[in-house]
Amino acid sequence: MKQAIAALLVVLLLAGIALTWMSREYDWGLDESLPLPSVPADNPMSAVKVELGRWLFYDRRLSVNETTACATCHIQALAFTDGKPRSVGATGALHPRSSMTLVNAAYASRLTWSNQLLDKLEDQALTPMFGDNPVEMGMAGREDAIVQLLRKDPRYAELVPAAFPNDEDPYSIVNTIRAISAFVRTIISYDSPYDRFMNGDENALGDSAQRGMKLFFSERLECFHCHGGFNFTDSTTHANSNVDRFGYHNTGLYNVDGNGAYPADNTGLYDMTGQRRDMGRFKAPTLRNVAVTAPYMHDGSVASLDAAIAHYERGGRLIEEGAYAGDGRRNPFKSEFIRGFELSAEERADLIAFLESLTDKSVLEDPSFSDPFLN
Amino acid sequence: MIPRRLVLCLLAVSVAGCGESPARVVIPFVPVFGAERLQCAETAGGVQLSDLRLYVSDIKLVNQSGDLVDVRLDPAGPWQQPDLALLDLEDGSGACDNGTAETNMALRGLVKPDDYHGLQFTLGVPFDRNHADPLQAEAPLGDAAMHWHWRAGYKFMRAGIRTPDDGFWIHLGSTGCEGTVRNISACRFPNRVTVTLEDFNPGVDAVEIDLESLVAATRLDDGAATDCSSGPAETSCDAPFRALGIPGAAEAGASTPRVFRRRDSQ
Repeated sequence: MKQAIAALLVVLLLAGIALTWMSREYDWGLDESLPLPSVPADNPMSAVKVELGRWLFYDRRLSVNETTACATCHIQALAFTDGKPRSVGATGALHPRSSMTLVNAAYASRLTWSNQLLDKLEDQALTPMFGDNPVEMGMAGREDAIVQLLRKDPRYAELVPAAFPNDEDPYSIVNTIRAISAFVRTIISYDSPYDRFMNGDENALGDSAQRGMKLFFSERLECFHCHGGFNFTDSTTHANSNVDRFGYHNTGLYNVDGNGAYPADNTGLYDMTGQRRDMGRFKAPTLRNVAVTAPYMHDGSVASLDAAIAHYERGGRLIEEGAYAGDGRRNPFKSEFIRGFELSAEERADLIAFLESLTDKSVLEDPSFSDPFLN
Repeated sequence: MIPRRLVLCLLAVSVAGCGESPARVVIPFVPVFGAERLQCAETAGGVQLSDLRLYVSDIKLVNQSGDLVDVRLDPAGPWQQPDLALLDLEDGSGACDNGTAETNMALRGLVKPDDYHGLQFTLGVPFDRNHADPLQAEAPLGDAAMHWHWRAGYKFMRAGIRTPDDGFWIHLGSTGCEGTVRNISACRFPNRVTVTLEDFNPGVDAVEIDLESLVAATRLDDGAATDCSSGPAETSCDAPFRALGIPGAAEAGASTPRVFRRRDSQ
């Protein structure tokens, strides 16, 4: 009996080691100072799955009229945003919101601008592919076309079974979504001048950027309360995280009725909950690569970093005329951290220099994130 | 020892009374705009159907004693589970350009033989299935056009009409949900509707879906299409929700929904 128990323990131990090894098997190639991203148990990472996902991410055949890939609104050189105030779908529909960066989406505890229900890339990816209000890629009702593409395209016919070796029939929508999500999870930024400075390279940041960093992390400016942590957002998670942390904030961008209202097509979390206190509350996006992701805010209504800083400096935006006229500073739902401050011209330049130091050229140029159809 | 006949009876009792084989029942649905029949490709009174797909669940007939008796739907095929069906009353033609050629115009199932005079069903998908993973779901819940990914559930109904220069559409589903996708704990606005049609004679009558009652409070002559996405704060949903009889809809009037009604056979 004792021998049987001992044998069982050995088997369990070996199984445990094997499982641990499998979960660590994928080489993220990350700096040791970074935690590993959390990965859903039903979609483990593998190099071939990431490769498949990269092709799919750039494949325009995943849209109703073969004009639009994921990459159309998520362009590598722009840190996987599209440079437009609001994105445009395959059939020309204007999205109410601006394309978000995908850089470090692997560390996002919630996805999109204001949907507290979405915590996995696999769930988020369904909306751009199949949503119809607005149409983004427009594939609702055309699932068979995607499955046929996977089966018949010689590249996919090879990559799909290799990426999902345990599936009896790997050619499916769910595996399409899983592969794209696995690829997006690899788009990680950790090599900006700021990161190198924090890792001990004192020459990585100039004096101006260093002064800007002090301003950014000061109680006077309050930036870091929402844009804090290694990913510069309070909605961050990772493999070793054991708290579900996310935040939505009204920054006083609008006040169209004097009672705190935001424009009707962009009310933020309020659209989901219907609770007045959620009016105008949006997620604080990561600030990594922020210098290349203009225009800013959920609706792209702030053109430049300078204008974004001016908005926070005033403690809310004043719109003097037009349909959205109103003083955002007086928005009753505004975050307590948006109190306003005054910057000298030099301080403003310093703060911008710091924000520019968050630009990670390697993620903007890494060939493994680039369009494989062009090579 | 229990008599074999009794065991068989016990097994059969859920779908039919002992000694009686279950009766076949077919319940057709018909889209109308007031008195006019609605179609995708042809205008009726200046109005075209642009969409009409809906999930109906928990279907029951009412007998002479007022008992509610389950209809067990035929689970074969792409449209039905035993207690849930997708009705697709658009054929992808004309104004139904978001739709599909396939249609499913009726509920088909079995019921214990009796003398029935009423119909009850729920417009909506039961909670557990509504919030499960759509990519693993059994038909008819695998339809990406009916899943509302960012609301973490299904569109219980998508309905719309179009006029030459105006229109209206509604997507009905649960909102104000808590938790995360595939782990929803509750929804503050379930937006399921129990529809009861008295004096409904199964096998003879059909169910009319009147889209005119959905747009009764909507201007269809201002050239600005109106839509309702079931948002908890969407004022464009107030009137259609009242017409549907959504519990808690602003200024709820009569509890019987006006959108669904009995249609005499012809």
